[in-house]
Amino acid sequence: MSAPLGFLRRPSAPASASVAASTASPPSLAALPATGVAIAVAMVRPRALEHLGADTPARAAFWSATLHDEALAAWLAPLRPTRLRVGSEFCERLLPEPAQLARTLAEASVAGLEVCLLTPVASPEVLRALDALFALLPPGAEVVVNDWGVALRLRERHPLLQAVAGRILCRMLKDPRLGNPQYAPPAAHGFASPWTRRLLARLGIARVEIDLPLFASADSFAGVPLPLGVHLPFAFVAKGRMCRTAGLAREGPERFAARPFCHHECLGLAARTERTRDGTHDAWETLHVGNTVFCRHSAANLATLASAVAAGRVARLIVPGETL
Amino acid sequence: MKIVAPIRQLDEIAALARAGADELYCGVTPREWAERFGGASANRRPGGNLPSLAALAEAVALAHRNGVQLSLVLNAQQYSVEQIEFALAIAHRYVDMGGDAVIASDPGLLLALAEAEPELRIHVSSVATCRNADGARLYRELGARRLILPRDITLDEAAEIAAAVPDLEIEAFVLNDGCVYEEGSCNTLHLPGALGGPICLDRYAYAHRHRDGRPLSAALAARLQENDEAYRRWLWYRFSCGFTTTADGLPFGPCGLCAIPAFGRGGIHALKIAGREGPPERKLASVRMVRRILDAHDNGEAPAAVMARARGLRPAHEHCATGFMCYYPEVVSRASEAAQPLRDGRAAGAQ
Repeated sequence: MSAPLGFLRRPSAPASASVAASTASPPSLAALPATGVAIAVAMVRPRALEHLGADTPARAAFWSATLHDEALAAWLAPLRPTRLRVGSEFCERLLPEPAQLARTLAEASVAGLEVCLLTPVASPEVLRALDALFALLPPGAEVVVNDWGVALRLRERHPLLQAVAGRILCRMLKDPRLGNPQYAPPAAHGFASPWTRRLLARLGIARVEIDLPLFASADSFAGVPLPLGVHLPFAFVAKGRMCRTAGLAREGPERFAARPFCHHECLGLAARTERTRDGTHDAWETLHVGNTVFCRHSAANLATLASAVAAGRVARLIVPGETL
Repeated sequence: MKIVAPIRQLDEIAALARAGADELYCGVTPREWAERFGGASANRRPGGNLPSLAALAEAVALAHRNGVQLSLVLNAQQYSVEQIEFALAIAHRYVDMGGDAVIASDPGLLLALAEAEPELRIHVSSVATCRNADGARLYRELGARRLILPRDITLDEAAEIAAAVPDLEIEAFVLNDGCVYEEGSCNTLHLPGALGGPICLDRYAYAHRHRDGRPLSAALAARLQENDEAYRRWLWYRFSCGFTTTADGLPFGPCGLCAIPAFGRGGIHALKIAGREGPPERKLASVRMVRRILDAHDNGEAPAAVMARARGLRPAHEHCATGFMCYYPEVVSRASEAAQPLRDGRAAGAQ
């Protein structure tokens, strides 16, 4: 990567020693035990919640089977999850039906978990569906909003629920094809802006969530005005409303169109993706689930997150409880 | 309805105005911005911008002399505090030039603009991915005068938003340049072609699998392969049929011309032609195409006749019939459903 990327080059690119992909060896996860941080588990279709409340070895086995990363599983296992995140940030088709949500609320209560509802970018139809779901949530329950319109509706019609700004609202360049930090444009969370802070306050948003940047550093967690949740071990790269996987269920002119219809094929299927272009080497493993592309963070990047946890900069870790 | 067309150089302005554009839009990357922040961060099209504020001033003057408005695009997905301050400085200069509107996406910039330049029209970019009435109402309350809908929206949704927020103008895509992912939810760069280009056009091989680790059955593997092939066909259409044109230079690719009657019924205020980075001939042909169909609609031609006229513009009815070239393929579905009784109950219930 040389001349063609000149337009991306930052004139004063900091040669930060804390950049995760630098040659310096970051501390390992094992050296930075996760303490003083909460953990929330995300599931589109919650099940087997007893694993989350079990002892440390059982949780280690659960995380290992779910995330396929022994070091990460061992790091997460001592933390007993306190919150179950149900629904989807990425797809309007994966919102629970009211009956499903009611069941989940009951099961989570038995498991000692608070429930947080995940919501996607919303069409008018989704907004209407959300009203029925919001009505089921107990006062104080969290709702992760990834759409400013959903945030406004929550504020106006369901003021007893607590809005959390989701990672889709936190725009940040995360292109897995850029393996050199020198060419990765600045990837800040954007919540530090006083104008954005005013918007968050106006909408009653009390927490924010971010993906890890691909080249995380201590600075990545600075300046957040509210308690911060961080997703791991995957960052979302891009999402469509069109869904490639849903094409399995559709035919005709609207096979890959905006109007949503599918049989939830993405709950069972995913794809590992790899570039076939000569001379390109992605720095991050990428995978495609439904309408969304994810990339998996490196061990070094996760270690940077662990350092931020140790420094008290992260209030909550957010981990998928279903294998992607 | 107004026709909104892109420019990236001054000599496009008079020609596009003569061809029937009502409004133009452009980006600018001053040298100082590139030096401080890099060239890729001013807006989403590093290769489609005017090079300086002097050129922007000239563009505003030229546009006004030609009877059209010129909007300035400052629609990166997110700006840092320093970039917002710089963007505000650009906006102040732009107002002094007599500029008409700023197209913004970052809510921080949007608020900053509304506070600093309350008389300046703010158009919410499609990059904001606003596709519901509550979001539209919030942007209106924040000071926006127009909402540019994202590509992936249905005609019914567009009309519902327009009806719910009548004091916010609604602009919808009508021609050219289809993204695969939602612009506001795509955290990647359009790399130079040699390095992969847009991520949705990059050469990714897919290794499908069950998420629980079970092996794929032969039947499912075959269905996935067929779906991948259909997806690649759709992708070809989505990206302007391989960036081809008719012999007369009319561009193929994402198109909403058949939807113009529905836009009219749905209270849509403006029709957006995308493609700032495209060649001037493509922009000119695009404006002429939209103008021809919009004039037919405005002259009272029946919707079916307008749609037939739209399909007749390019001698490639088979492209239209796939629906893959459509921004609003439900138009094709509905026309097909109206033409023949449904044979497949599942498909009828699918939507």
